[in-house]
Amino acid sequence: MNILSKITAIAIASATITLGSSQAWSAGSHDGGHGAKKNIGIPGKASEAMQTIEIKMLDNYYEPESISVKQGETVRFIIKNDGEFVHEFNIGTAAMHTAHQEEMMTMFEHGVLEADKINYDMMKMDMGNGKTMEHNDPNSVLLEPGKSGEIVWKFNKAGKIEFACNIPGHYDAGMMGKIKFKS
Amino acid sequence: MINTKKFRRHSCIVAVFSLVIIPFTSIADVYNLTVDKVIIDTGKFKKQGIGYNGASPGPVLRMEEGENVTINVTNNLDEMTSIHWHGLILPYQQDGVPTISYDGIKPGETFTYKFPIVQSGTYWFHSHSGFQEPDGAYGSIVIKSKKREPFRYDRDYVVQLTDKHPHSGARIMRNLKTMPDYYNRQQQTITDFISDSEANGLGTTINDRMAWGDMRMMPADIEDVQGFTPLINGKGPNQNWTGLFKPGERVRLRFINSSAMTYFDIRIPGLEMTVVSADGNNVRPVKVDEFRIAVAETFDVIVQPKDDKAYTIFAESMGRSAFGRGTLAPRDGMVAVVPQLKKSPLLTMADMGMDHSKMKGMDHSKMKGMDHSKMKGMDHSKMKGMDHSKMKSQVDPFYAPGSGLTPNAGKDKKFLSYQDLKAQKQLYKHRAPTREIELRLTGNMERYIWSINGKKYEDEEEIRLQYGERVRFKFVNETMMSHPMHLHGMWSILDTGAGKWNPIKHTVSVAPGTTLYTETEVDAPGQWAFHCHLSYHAASGMFRKIVVVGGPKSALLNSITSKEPKV
Repeated sequence: MNILSKITAIAIASATITLGSSQAWSAGSHDGGHGAKKNIGIPGKASEAMQTIEIKMLDNYYEPESISVKQGETVRFIIKNDGEFVHEFNIGTAAMHTAHQEEMMTMFEHGVLEADKINYDMMKMDMGNGKTMEHNDPNSVLLEPGKSGEIVWKFNKAGKIEFACNIPGHYDAGMMGKIKFKS
Repeated sequence: MINTKKFRRHSCIVAVFSLVIIPFTSIADVYNLTVDKVIIDTGKFKKQGIGYNGASPGPVLRMEEGENVTINVTNNLDEMTSIHWHGLILPYQQDGVPTISYDGIKPGETFTYKFPIVQSGTYWFHSHSGFQEPDGAYGSIVIKSKKREPFRYDRDYVVQLTDKHPHSGARIMRNLKTMPDYYNRQQQTITDFISDSEANGLGTTINDRMAWGDMRMMPADIEDVQGFTPLINGKGPNQNWTGLFKPGERVRLRFINSSAMTYFDIRIPGLEMTVVSADGNNVRPVKVDEFRIAVAETFDVIVQPKDDKAYTIFAESMGRSAFGRGTLAPRDGMVAVVPQLKKSPLLTMADMGMDHSKMKGMDHSKMKGMDHSKMKGMDHSKMKGMDHSKMKSQVDPFYAPGSGLTPNAGKDKKFLSYQDLKAQKQLYKHRAPTREIELRLTGNMERYIWSINGKKYEDEEEIRLQYGERVRFKFVNETMMSHPMHLHGMWSILDTGAGKWNPIKHTVSVAPGTTLYTETEVDAPGQWAFHCHLSYHAASGMFRKIVVVGGPKSALLNSITSKEPKV
């Protein structure tokens, strides 16, 4: 890999938050790691996507505010942050979102996240225990104002799941929506 | 009917303006209010008072951003009246302060207010004449936003708090003037003296009492008017105002403190509250367990009760002499446990801007005539970059360190601080102020005189501001009481150290022994009231007239010279 493509790769990774494996820090890991994610679905392949859903993130709400999927369906989400603040699109259960909100609060307290800015360098810093504050789970994207991201997600099992923004205060102000399963 | 001519001319201007700027969306609604004598039943006592459209509180006026309102106010009293639209941005002649905005409304007359609604959120209205407001003359205003709001809710309730007293406002003022501690039932007694002497030693206790004596104040002076019954939407604790919900719904509660004198600490045991708006302006949502609402402030919170049970809205007065109580419930008639009042706080020397524990052996008799302006308060502007949300301990930089008033929600619970308020949208471009004006909040408790820079309203000239400037107000509270300072007509941008995200308010509370800064973009020509919103403080002199010089409509300025304070 030449240097240029390496830089591009990093830029893409940090701009949209990777779809790769998630070792550590982010959503759901407090909730039993990868195992628990089976309840909410698994990362999907873009080639298998049966539906594309565009999600607009605004201050502090989504358009649309709820979505419908079929069990077993792979959905490609194209997410755009049209607000003035950082927002997240995260697929999970209400309990997973609650756990993730605490992590997000820590990211704010450490200056990794600001209201309208993500400090990517700080995300990569070792917190002293081998862990970083990287926000790289496949079920979520965290976007600065004006940025876009993508998630491909396979809803292999119906359940009570929601998409939500876990930036402090946003979920409670109503920045969340239900994922309904059509039969 | 008075001022007909002026209003005709004015409405022409509005009409032309709306034709040019908002030709299609303009709505013009007419509201009618009568000012009436009413009976107020608190559940503990019944008292004649003043209300609107036959009731106190008056109606909720529901308006829409962008509309041009016409409000006909008919005075059915046998005395002059007025209505001030608290927090609304409007031409000064519509602001409703007798002797500053207009002459007031005579008995039997109808006055027609006309102004465009240029904002959204939760506000209120009240009389600005005599003591009609503490006597019940208040109501609420809910303005629907043109744009989608940055939060979501399924239900919406106004929660208007007041402190109804069995004495009329005029009688309370007379009693305070005769005996400033007339209504203070929490004074320290000889028993307190003996127990303090046992705990702290006789010398320390004597020194402490002498110090307070020199200040002409008492440690229990948090509420100088006690004996009231707190009301929520006009209902006393036993009458239990109830708001219904379906489990899982988001409920927006629009708290308004329309009290004459009382700050409230508010919590809903079992529910976290997400604060989304302060004084009508949206703030970045912040989750709290409890918040303090100063007199005249408004806070909008969202709660999401998930269980099929009742929750108590508990509003205890800051001095803990009384509580207001309401209920959120899935069905009428359900109730939840009502908590006990927390222990009464005592003011400390920190609330005087000084810690006397470090001043052993001082001769307090030599302290008369101290220059309080030299006392160091806290300088909030120097605290930039500190992230107070991180502090696990209950430190609030908007109280003097060691203050007896510092709020505390309990272990692992969050109490809202001004520090947590961050504007959701910038109303003005952030810029350096053009000048600073120092306002020392001063008083002589022994004579119940409250003043600014040592001078009562009638003894001091108006404050003149230049249209277009950005003024920084430095409030230095040299008294031991909290003062909710309210500027009419223009916003007060509260300096919390958040720069461009500093919250935008119409009323800011200055705690004892602290210094607080606000900035105002001087964008409203005319003359405006600026005062402490504690009714009896404003009436006894903590009040100023602001004159904005210059600006596009300077020709509209009339020459009102009378300076009689009418609060």
